[in-house]
Amino acid sequence: MQSKNYWYKSMTTLNINEKEYQLDLKGHETLLEVLRDNLGLTGTKTACNEAECGACTVLVDNNSVLSCIILAKDVEGCSIETIEGLSHEEELHPIQQAFLDNGAVQCGFCAPGFILSTKALLDKNPEPNLEEIKKSLDGHICRCGGYLKIFDAVKDASKKLNNHDTKK
Amino acid sequence: MTQKNNNSLNPVGKSVPRIDGKGLVTGQTKYVFDLKLPGMLIGKMLRSPHPHAKIISIDTSKAEKLPGVKAIITAKDTYGIKFGSNEFFFPQTADQQALESDKVRYIGDELGAVAAIDEETAEKALKLIDVKYEILPAVFDVMEAMKPGAPQIHSARNNIALILPTHFGNVEKALKESDYVREDEFYLPSAAHTCMEPHVCVGQFENFSDKLTLWISTQAPFKIRETLAKCLKMNLNNVRVIKLAVGGGFGGKLEMLPMDFASCLLSKKAGGFPVKITYSREEEFSFSRRKHPMIYKLKSGIKKNGTLMAISGEIYADGGGYCSYGPTVLAAAMMRIFMVYKIKNFKMTGYRVYTNNPISGAIRGFGGVQSGFAVESHMDMLAQGIGMDPVEFRLKNITTPNMITTNKMILTSNGLRECIEKATEACDWKNKKGKQKNIKRGLGIGIAADVMGSKMYKSHESAGSIIKIEEDASVYFLTGAADTGQGSNTALSQIAAQELGISYDRIKITTADTGITPFDTGSFASRVTFISGNATKLAALDAKMQILKVVSQEKNIPIEELDLIAEEVIHKKNSSVVMSFEKAVELCYSFNYGQQIIGRGSYNPKTTPVDFRTGEGNVSASYGFEAQIAKVEVNTETGEVAVLKMWDAHDIGKAINPQSVRGQIEGSLFMGIGYTLSENLQFKNGRVLNPNFANYRLPRSVNACPVESILIETIDPEGPFGAKGMGEAALLPTAAAIANAVYDAIGIRIKDLPITPDKILKALKSKES
Repeated sequence: MQSKNYWYKSMTTLNINEKEYQLDLKGHETLLEVLRDNLGLTGTKTACNEAECGACTVLVDNNSVLSCIILAKDVEGCSIETIEGLSHEEELHPIQQAFLDNGAVQCGFCAPGFILSTKALLDKNPEPNLEEIKKSLDGHICRCGGYLKIFDAVKDASKKLNNHDTKK
Repeated sequence: MTQKNNNSLNPVGKSVPRIDGKGLVTGQTKYVFDLKLPGMLIGKMLRSPHPHAKIISIDTSKAEKLPGVKAIITAKDTYGIKFGSNEFFFPQTADQQALESDKVRYIGDELGAVAAIDEETAEKALKLIDVKYEILPAVFDVMEAMKPGAPQIHSARNNIALILPTHFGNVEKALKESDYVREDEFYLPSAAHTCMEPHVCVGQFENFSDKLTLWISTQAPFKIRETLAKCLKMNLNNVRVIKLAVGGGFGGKLEMLPMDFASCLLSKKAGGFPVKITYSREEEFSFSRRKHPMIYKLKSGIKKNGTLMAISGEIYADGGGYCSYGPTVLAAAMMRIFMVYKIKNFKMTGYRVYTNNPISGAIRGFGGVQSGFAVESHMDMLAQGIGMDPVEFRLKNITTPNMITTNKMILTSNGLRECIEKATEACDWKNKKGKQKNIKRGLGIGIAADVMGSKMYKSHESAGSIIKIEEDASVYFLTGAADTGQGSNTALSQIAAQELGISYDRIKITTADTGITPFDTGSFASRVTFISGNATKLAALDAKMQILKVVSQEKNIPIEELDLIAEEVIHKKNSSVVMSFEKAVELCYSFNYGQQIIGRGSYNPKTTPVDFRTGEGNVSASYGFEAQIAKVEVNTETGEVAVLKMWDAHDIGKAINPQSVRGQIEGSLFMGIGYTLSENLQFKNGRVLNPNFANYRLPRSVNACPVESILIETIDPEGPFGAKGMGEAALLPTAAAIANAVYDAIGIRIKDLPITPDKILKALKSKES
């Protein structure tokens, strides 16, 4: 029996890319559905919708999370970051720049997920070795490129970010 | 203002960043998957749950009454026109209706569709449609299907949709004259494309003007337009097909699927609201297209000195319920041999057989992956039979530059020898091959060749390009070529900028919209760089000459003495700068001239049609070549095969963008590793058993091995700046290279893919006993 007490339900507040959104949710929406369908943040992709490919990855409190299997209402109060929040104005984030410079993107459908997982990795481990990179990206599928250029991009991004930090 | 930097000027041969790169890494690029139009409805396909059945009746009345349902279509709403992807050459292979009216032939066969306000309602409506079937006996095995008395799927005798014979010389005589003859049988399983963006489309019908727009994730917008117009009985010019960014194709998005037709017809019936249909991952695995499983039999003979005398064999391809691209896949599975080996006596017959399995179609390599594994494994075994090194054996028998093959293919530039030599040098073949058995390591080689186009669209394969330059010196490049992620938009823009003599940064590209851009047959057969590239080069040259003509008049310098290089009009005699590109364009648009710059290019490769009764013909205007070597290590306790490194030496003519070329090689090669070791689309009674990423195992980051790609630039006489296509070739020899390396490591020969631990362990066990 479906609950008819819609009017008792309060609004859900989500913090996405440092902006607050008030949403009237039924409760069963995944974070992925809310991002894409309610908010038009289509940079987050759906490629399997069953937590097997990594395309829907977003950051929740700096951890990489599969948005297709997490309920939007469960991340209320968390800080959510999507691919749209990474670059500021015209400047690409160093990780995005590294993916571009190293030819790590072909069709691009998997790229937002890979880039966000890379950010989560480099936040915790600024200079990962190849094995650590491979392990941390194991949940992502890239069908076009064969991963090698992505590894190069992660290493390059690590360099770019570390240089950026020392300049500061 | 356009910034000039060194990479942007004269961009051909440089790894400039992708022209669409920023959109891709920021998530701003829109795919059809992301498209949402006002009033958009969601469509779902009504599919058969049976592999083979007669449709007795379809009652949609209950579903129509469900609130939120806007349109339901079945075969009654169609003209019942049959289509097929190779129907121009093989009319009898047009065997599929957009919605079937009488019979269903595989689990998932489409017999209707629903459009509703949301997905939930559409799915509910599907359940309310009452279809009565008379279940028919079904057949799933390719050899069973050909037996007399097997269930009849179409009207084709013994369910054989097509027999392709290829016959040259005298095989029987040559086998008798051979010193060593052997027969082998290989089994190649099915595989899935697994594009990250699933099949998706949005159809919108303008009921009052009778015009149709289809946004679709496709490799071939103009081919889709043709099939749609045919099935809907519309004029081509009333059908507009628009491609946005595409999240991978790999051959799976080359033809119209019933969903594309359905979204358009549903929109018409719903009064013009756009209808979006998106495949789920399960539908993608189960109901799109898949690789042809093949039984590949070979019998060949060689002389003691290694001379290849004769090749003969048979191929049985499980085509599933309909023909799709079956004929060309089968043709490619046989004829690629001629590009690689000099062979006078050849006899092979291919059978494309109907079964009640899902439809087999085009997938990267077009039959070449299957033949690559069979032929290259077989060649190693032949060499071994006379105690010859497999590399030496290949070098003795391969094709050469500037030769005409037995089946009349014209090979011009051919770097195959160099590919083999460079690859074997790089991996230290001489010192390592056969010498690491103690540590269960081995090396194996495979070689392959590829076409640059194949004339699959009617009888021509033209591509067109337009380059228009506006008065502010902005350069608009319009091409019908369909970038599906491989980076062809970037390569074509590099060609345009190089030929025109301007900075790459100036190019603004518009692609693949049948209402705007010139015609192009699409992304397949590794043709885009070569064919669309040539069209683009011609358009750029045309635009350049228009500018130079105006400068010539103004400055009173003969046009032959002028050129436009790196943003400057040059007087060739003394290399002096006459004026900048921007000034020259300004001049064209000035009071006295008012000359618009619109360059056009059209290119259709010179080839000869293939005679499908014999296999004779020159299918492509150029051919690409490669050699691949795998280094593997086998764990004899667990049966696991680890690929430690791959070498790929590739004759690519000229690398327009070396980084992009290496990216294509790596991607293609990993697809090959996946097919060799883990991918295997499995079926039981016509149903896909592993329609998800958990059970269909693709290569992941932890499986990625280093790849050394060696680019060999033979500068093709016909290619744009000498370039050839190379999107598919790196996948063709991978399976054989790995299988041959496994043999080198542990003496076990696996003839059926994938090479799984249990097969290795079983073989090791039987070897011991």
